[in-house]
Amino acid sequence: MSDPILSVEGVVKRFAGVTAVDGAGLSVGAGEIVGLIGPNGSGKSTMVNMVTGEMPADSGTFRFDGRDITALPAWRRARLGMARSFQMLRLFGSLSVEDNLLLARHISMKRSMWESVLGARPAREEEEAVRARARELLGWFDLAPFADRKVTALSIGQQRMVELARGVIADPRLFVLDEPAAGLSPPNVDRLIALIRRMRDEFGISILLVEHDMRVVRDLCDRVVVLDSGTKIAEGPPAAVTQDPVVVEAYIGRGWKRRAQA
Amino acid sequence: MDLFLQYLANGVVVGSSYVLVAVGLTLIFGILHVVNFAHGEFYMLGGYAGITASTAFGLPLPASLAVVAAVSCLLGLGAEALLHRGLKNQDQTSSIIASFGLAVALQNAVMVTMGPQPELMHTELAYKAIELGPVFLPAPRALIPPAMLIIVGALFAALRWTWTGRSLRAMAQHETVARLCGVKVRRVAVITFMLGATLAGVAGFMMSAVYMVHPLVGNMIVLKAFIVVIIGGMGSPLGAAAAGLLLGVIESMTSAYLTNGLRDVVGFLLVIAVLLFRPQGLFGRSLERS
Amino acid sequence: MTRAALITLAILAVGFVAAPFLLGGYELNVLMVALLYVILAVGLNLATGYCGQFSFAQGAFYGIGGYTAGILSRDVGTGFWMNLPAGIVVTGLFGLALGLPALRLKGHFLAIVTIAVQTLVYLGLVQWNSLTGGQNGLAVPPIGETTLFGVRLFEVTSLRDLYWVALVMAAVFVFIAWRLVHSRLGREWVAVREDETLAGAVGLNTTFAKLTAFVASAAFAGGAGVLNAHAMQGVTPDDFQIWISCMVVAMMVVGGRGTFMGPILGAIALTILPELTGELARYKMLIFGVLLVVCVTVAPEGALGRIRKARESRDQAASGRAPAKDPSEASA
Repeated sequence: MSDPILSVEGVVKRFAGVTAVDGAGLSVGAGEIVGLIGPNGSGKSTMVNMVTGEMPADSGTFRFDGRDITALPAWRRARLGMARSFQMLRLFGSLSVEDNLLLARHISMKRSMWESVLGARPAREEEEAVRARARELLGWFDLAPFADRKVTALSIGQQRMVELARGVIADPRLFVLDEPAAGLSPPNVDRLIALIRRMRDEFGISILLVEHDMRVVRDLCDRVVVLDSGTKIAEGPPAAVTQDPVVVEAYIGRGWKRRAQA
Repeated sequence: MDLFLQYLANGVVVGSSYVLVAVGLTLIFGILHVVNFAHGEFYMLGGYAGITASTAFGLPLPASLAVVAAVSCLLGLGAEALLHRGLKNQDQTSSIIASFGLAVALQNAVMVTMGPQPELMHTELAYKAIELGPVFLPAPRALIPPAMLIIVGALFAALRWTWTGRSLRAMAQHETVARLCGVKVRRVAVITFMLGATLAGVAGFMMSAVYMVHPLVGNMIVLKAFIVVIIGGMGSPLGAAAAGLLLGVIESMTSAYLTNGLRDVVGFLLVIAVLLFRPQGLFGRSLERS
Repeated sequence: MTRAALITLAILAVGFVAAPFLLGGYELNVLMVALLYVILAVGLNLATGYCGQFSFAQGAFYGIGGYTAGILSRDVGTGFWMNLPAGIVVTGLFGLALGLPALRLKGHFLAIVTIAVQTLVYLGLVQWNSLTGGQNGLAVPPIGETTLFGVRLFEVTSLRDLYWVALVMAAVFVFIAWRLVHSRLGREWVAVREDETLAGAVGLNTTFAKLTAFVASAAFAGGAGVLNAHAMQGVTPDDFQIWISCMVVAMMVVGGRGTFMGPILGAIALTILPELTGELARYKMLIFGVLLVVCVTVAPEGALGRIRKARESRDQAASGRAPAKDPSEASA
């Protein structure tokens, strides 16, 4: 593995006496799809929120693209090329699908905000170009007919796709996906898997994937990191990790084996 | 030192009226999440009801007090219907605007019926006074702190030990869970508003023998009450009680030792500082639980 | 919405331009006040309607603009056209200061801080005698003669002249607001209002967005304040009490916060309607209060918000698919 795009070490996070993440770390190589799994309450979401900067860590270091980002807030990390989706769908509800994408592209617009306020031609042209790009991407995600629709008018499955398109339009180096398959029907999960793979293959986006659906993890991930009670208990290729007795033990009582073989 | 004690006593008197107004305001906020801008009008109408009962109808003080309580309860009933039930499922800013509308309406209703001139309640008590060492207080003033202690003490006891009080506290914690446990939300809301209105009305009644009452008197009162509520920690009655006395004393001291011009300013400065550095209030929420 | 807004704006423009030729002094004065409130409400809508930051301090900024004009006229001897930009800048800086607590506080906590700031400004105007003239306020000269490089351009003497100045200023501010909300900045304001966490996650600088919204909204009030000071030829603290702020909030809310035309229509309606009470003039404010309660209860999203909602659900019905009719929903 070459220099990782993301490397996280020794992360600790406590909430009012409960230690949610206890010294765990992980890394994502360039062009790699890494799965982050673990039983409920193992600290996956906390970890993800610390990686993307929504939540500060108590200790630990975060490096992104060779740069120490530990002290940076979420919006600065996004500007360095980190996109994310949310476990509980998050979109700008009162805006159109296209405007949702547009906002995610603001960070790489070259014209200043003031040119946009003044309505200067270069700013207008730039915005038109981004809108065209947004429509193109929406076609990619089968959302083209909905570009002008308010996002809340779309179904949950379609909104999930909007979230993915929103991440892709920013041209990120790393896309953090927080349970993208939650709430999707099996045919749509197949589509999701194909789309994520294309994101990596066509756009070269590295992916950190938190997921409960083992089919998604097995089909997509090059490598899997398993958390339990805030510590890393296993790491390796999906097939090997799911057979690891330590991992199986962590999941016992939750029907892990059954789901793994499904 | 003697003067200091006198200022302290004056501060406690005014502070006691703040406590009465603010405890109701903080209950309404804490339990029902309504930001009630018309709370100052409860105070104002309490004053007018008392003056009308005692001066125009010549009722004795206890009877006037009963009139004030009755008028306040009616007001609370109406305010609950408008600001709580009428605004179900809306954000808190809606209650700010609606209660502002209610305040304007009540002020002008009084302006039209009673006229704009300030009124003072005259009682024979005004000729009596109490001397405690170096501290000299006319009876109408001296009565306010003990009355406040009795009323607020009874309120806290009721909150703690009666079924209704426990319902109120349960609602403050979590409305849905309280509902599931059999708390009747409507009833709790009405009681909360009636309590708040009565506390403010009684404060207005007692203070009307000390300061003049006029239709717009509620404007400053409600702002002071908000100061107290924030300093005490929003939704915490005990915090409001402590902060109310504190504000009264701070104002009294500011006006005595700094300048009278800063008297009304100091509270707002305090609020901004508290919200920026300790948004949960000086006395926090933890006090309430203990 | 955009097309309907432009048509409404055009109709309003025609009405306001025709007014001086049709109406008497009293009516014209009411319309001028309405124009000042249009500037205040449109400005407030930038911070509250678009960026979601509640403020009850618009009246204070109105006053700061007016007092900037008054103090400059008294101490420096400048006229309206110098005071106008100065008032806008000074008020904008105060807006920046109010924006700072907004970085930490939300919802009703922020609302209450702005109430505290509003009251502090009022008390400051009353107490700081040497600067503000205390309760008596300051006299401000009329706009009078306007010259550019020594060349006399025009003179503002009558109420009608003043009205024209107000109309032009309101038009300019409305145009600026239009540009702002239809720019990238305006879109970021909406993003902050809708979901601050998400706005940060897609890389938007939410601090910048909130501060610019507060500065813009205060600057609008500052401009209106300077004009008001010169038009009334004086300022007193009582003109800038919290009730002015509440009035502006009411105009915005009744019209529809976050819609472009709502605050404009709300400001005009709530200024003019109480004047139409005629016989009932005594009950003007009483009626106003009751109306406000009724409006918030019946249509919390405001008149235009209500219309927009109705249109959206109609469009959705017309396009023939209810939300959530997609196979992806099924299992979960």
